[in-house]
Amino acid sequence: MVKAVKGVVVECDTSVKQIILGLNEKGKFIIEDLDDTHVFVDASCIEQLRFDIDEILNENTYNVEESK
Amino acid sequence: MSKFQTSIHEYLETLPLQTFNRLYQKPATCLAIFRLLPPLGKQIIMSSLYVDTPIPVTDMKLWFKESAGLMKQKEAMQRLKALHIFSEERGNYAMNATFLEQFRNALTGGGNSQSFGLATSTPDKHHVDIAFLDDYATKQWEAILHFMVGTTEGRPPCKGVLNLLGRSGLMTGGSDVSSHADSMDARDFASQMARQDFGVPKITHKGFQFLLQDINTQVWAFLLQYLNMAESLNMDLVEVLTFFFQLGSLELGNDYSSETLTPTQTHLLEDLKAYGIVYQRKRGSRRFYPTRLATTLTSGTPVMLGSHTNATKLAAAAAVRKGEEEEGDDHGFIILETNYRLYAYTDSPLQIAVLNLFVHLRDRFPNMVTGVITRDSIRRALTKGITAEQIITYLTAHAHAQMRKHTPVLPLTVVDQIRLWEIEKNRLRPVQSWLYSDFGRQQDFESTLEYASELGVVLWSNQKRRLICITTEGHQAVGSYVRKLIIRQKEQAQQAQQARQQHQQQHVPSIAS
Repeated sequence: MVKAVKGVVVECDTSVKQIILGLNEKGKFIIEDLDDTHVFVDASCIEQLRFDIDEILNENTYNVEESK
Repeated sequence: MSKFQTSIHEYLETLPLQTFNRLYQKPATCLAIFRLLPPLGKQIIMSSLYVDTPIPVTDMKLWFKESAGLMKQKEAMQRLKALHIFSEERGNYAMNATFLEQFRNALTGGGNSQSFGLATSTPDKHHVDIAFLDDYATKQWEAILHFMVGTTEGRPPCKGVLNLLGRSGLMTGGSDVSSHADSMDARDFASQMARQDFGVPKITHKGFQFLLQDINTQVWAFLLQYLNMAESLNMDLVEVLTFFFQLGSLELGNDYSSETLTPTQTHLLEDLKAYGIVYQRKRGSRRFYPTRLATTLTSGTPVMLGSHTNATKLAAAAAVRKGEEEEGDDHGFIILETNYRLYAYTDSPLQIAVLNLFVHLRDRFPNMVTGVITRDSIRRALTKGITAEQIITYLTAHAHAQMRKHTPVLPLTVVDQIRLWEIEKNRLRPVQSWLYSDFGRQQDFESTLEYASELGVVLWSNQKRRLICITTEGHQAVGSYVRKLIIRQKEQAQQAQQARQQHQQQHVPSIAS
């Protein structure tokens, strides 16, 4: 029987996709892992996801302002 | 994020024919609109201005070479038709009669010349010079911009300006009043004044974009907002527009009589004074001076207004040397190095405030500030709704004369990095959708996919895993299609079962017999 689920398709690059998979370990929000650049997730977690990814990417950048 | 209207063309093209016919009654308006046209449009008008009979469409095509030329001609004619200068009738192009007559008047100086503004006949006892007008215009205009960026420099703009800022969506009211109640400086006073209208004014996305535009675009954006407002204030649109265009044809440094103005236009004059577009010594004075902001409205050349203090210094310098080219140099003040360091030769708090939107400023000297463009400073700007393109345009437009010797003007590394930072912010592209899964049979999946792609609602699909993502808009249609498929499948299954049962029933007696 065909099933239809409401959610959000997230398109992203592969590195971000890995981060998303990592975040999914903590709190499950992925409904279906589609392929390398697409993932189908719960609609309510998008904002949190954006924030988390931003945090992680921020940790990985060199900050000029602090190095004064 | 909607962009505010900045182009007068777009605005004009929305007006009906009647309005145009009234607008074209003034030679100054005809000339101003003519000045706003692209070169080819001007060419067509000039060629047909003294042709008294309508021009056959086929004849005009002969003026152009081959297909490339005809494409351009088509484009230009479309513009002219949108402005109701030309109309096409039975294979002929006819020029609007009012426009024709008044534009001839504008060129030859015939007819009633008052539309170009009446110069006062008596000399002004309190005559002011161009330097003063420049200074005045800059002060007024920058007061508005200062207010927008929230520097406390200068006095707050008057209520009309605040109202316009609010209505145009460049600033909005914040609901949090208590946080602003600490000290009553000039800015808070202005917010107090405006509070009855739209709360504490706060700059919006649109406002930030507005700040990065060049001054001519800013002035037009403001005037267009004024036009929109004028309609709701029951001011006659034609009179307002006519006055704007008239201002565009006035000469800088001359004084004009305000006695010939209509009541609407007198009221308008008061408001334009607040923006620094015209100068009047005191309210109700019989004469007014257009400033550089006014005279460059329709000329299309950039307004060479430096920062407030630079302008005065420059005016003094220009008076001594009488050199015009110095003025051009003043336009650029930013030096950007490949190591992301930025040096801005300015002491204007406004320019510093604008730079502060996207630069991490470090040191401030009497005549310059230094800073560095960082990922964080750009991201801060991006979250405010400023785009990378706007930052790059601003930097290019204000690049120092030294920078202009290089091509490209800005270091490529920095430009690319700014763009990359913008892309990085959008690494997630989420789209609301429905995921269809668990298709029982491959053929069901294929026919659903085919149906959905015909509707153009497929976001993603995978043949092997029988998964389809459908947009929310397409969900209803695809859903009912799938339901139909299932029902049909069930019916088929039932029929098959019935057939089997019948077959068995037929079969059973045969065994029994």
